[in-house]
Amino acid sequence: MYGAPGGGPTVHDPMTLPVDDNVNNYTFCVELKGSQWFLQKGKMIAYYGSIDFNGVGHGRLDRLVRTSFHSPLHASDWVVAEGSGKMLLADRAFDVNSYDLDDGNLTIRSGNLLAFQPSLSLKQSIVPGFLTLIGTGKFVAASNGPVVFMEPPLRVDPQALVGWADCPSPCHHYDHGYLTGVMGGLRALTGLGGASGEEHQFEFVGAGTVLLQSTEILMAEQATGAVPHEPGVPGSGAGAGGHGGPGAQSGAPRLPGQLGDLQRRFGL
Amino acid sequence: MLAVDMTGDAVKAKNGSMVAYDGQMAFKKLSGGGEGIRGMVTRRLTGEQMTVMEVKGQGTCWFADRASEINLVQLQGDKLYVESSNLLATDAGLRTGTSFTGLRGATQGNGLFTTTVEGHGQAAITSDGPAVVLRVSPQYPLTVDPGAYIAHQGDVRQSFQSGVTFRTFMGEGGGEAFQIRFEGNGLVYVQPSERNTIAGDV
Repeated sequence: MYGAPGGGPTVHDPMTLPVDDNVNNYTFCVELKGSQWFLQKGKMIAYYGSIDFNGVGHGRLDRLVRTSFHSPLHASDWVVAEGSGKMLLADRAFDVNSYDLDDGNLTIRSGNLLAFQPSLSLKQSIVPGFLTLIGTGKFVAASNGPVVFMEPPLRVDPQALVGWADCPSPCHHYDHGYLTGVMGGLRALTGLGGASGEEHQFEFVGAGTVLLQSTEILMAEQATGAVPHEPGVPGSGAGAGGHGGPGAQSGAPRLPGQLGDLQRRFGL
Repeated sequence: MLAVDMTGDAVKAKNGSMVAYDGQMAFKKLSGGGEGIRGMVTRRLTGEQMTVMEVKGQGTCWFADRASEINLVQLQGDKLYVESSNLLATDAGLRTGTSFTGLRGATQGNGLFTTTVEGHGQAAITSDGPAVVLRVSPQYPLTVDPGAYIAHQGDVRQSFQSGVTFRTFMGEGGGEAFQIRFEGNGLVYVQPSERNTIAGDV
């Protein structure tokens, strides 16, 4: 009756919507048959059928949270969709894609993860700001521009990194030839003589896959939750431990260009 | 970007949305959305203001608005409900007006009134990301997040659903506390993005 005339936009109904696949580059359709999906708050745009959305803190879902949620402190950003029907997910008109994990692991920037099946378990990565998914199942991630898959060994720009699968954690890489020495120090501090903005990269080695987005515009960070305040946990601010008393590490962060940096630059 | 070929006929478009044209064009501002004195007063009273210009001439005219996606809607005597901020251009033969939306409008952050477009012809609506067109039929009602809704057409009843419970106030809400449910026969346009609404955080 209200069919689109030739050349018009495709009209979707529950029969023609894809099952667990993209409707277009920016919208993803999930089919629920009495099953559950985790999704980030506020990413559902429409649904057919009867679907309930409950905060992860909902008492009835405690068991589920225990089995597939291991970041209790940021559970309030996540919602469980439960019921039957088809549900559309989207995130600020960013590209969305689904990925299948088969008994694997994948670490992803927290702001990019949109939704995942409860058969996967979500954990905080020890790299601050990243989350790790472990197990078998499907998840949906958003990215600014299409995602590119690369294989290590590889160095990537920090802003383009979306995540990585099956390979050891990345490390920082600096172009030392360009950064060291008196002139290098001056360049890095003042930008005089031209800083290319690419002196710092993340380096990946080993076997696996690295996911990159095709812009360097970051998506908004999602809090990953605080980590336990104990020695040896990166990002906990608990210092090196064992030394007793706050050392230089737990003090206020030093500004670049303070004397300490110069001292180290000259090896003092 | 929307390209309109014209041979002496006219379109109504959002003021200032023309980016280029070739041929001969005349641009005339239509006060009150071209709805006459009554329309002007209604729009002023309802806050559903829109400044519209009439473009008339021979040639091709291109329209665009803040790089948002443009979706064409074909109307065959039915009525399209769209927010005035999402309406880019219509055929001059289409009638525009305002209607009351009630609580739904309030949750969308767009005020209590919406714009209607009626008649035979085409209208262009804008969205953040390409809109997904979803059919509503009696056996398949549709539920939509107010922040992602942009327009609907046809014989559709809408009702407002609220899932606000005491958990919402404990910060443990489902994130989708306000929803609009569409029943009947027609099409609903949703965008793959959510406007900031008062319901966005609960």
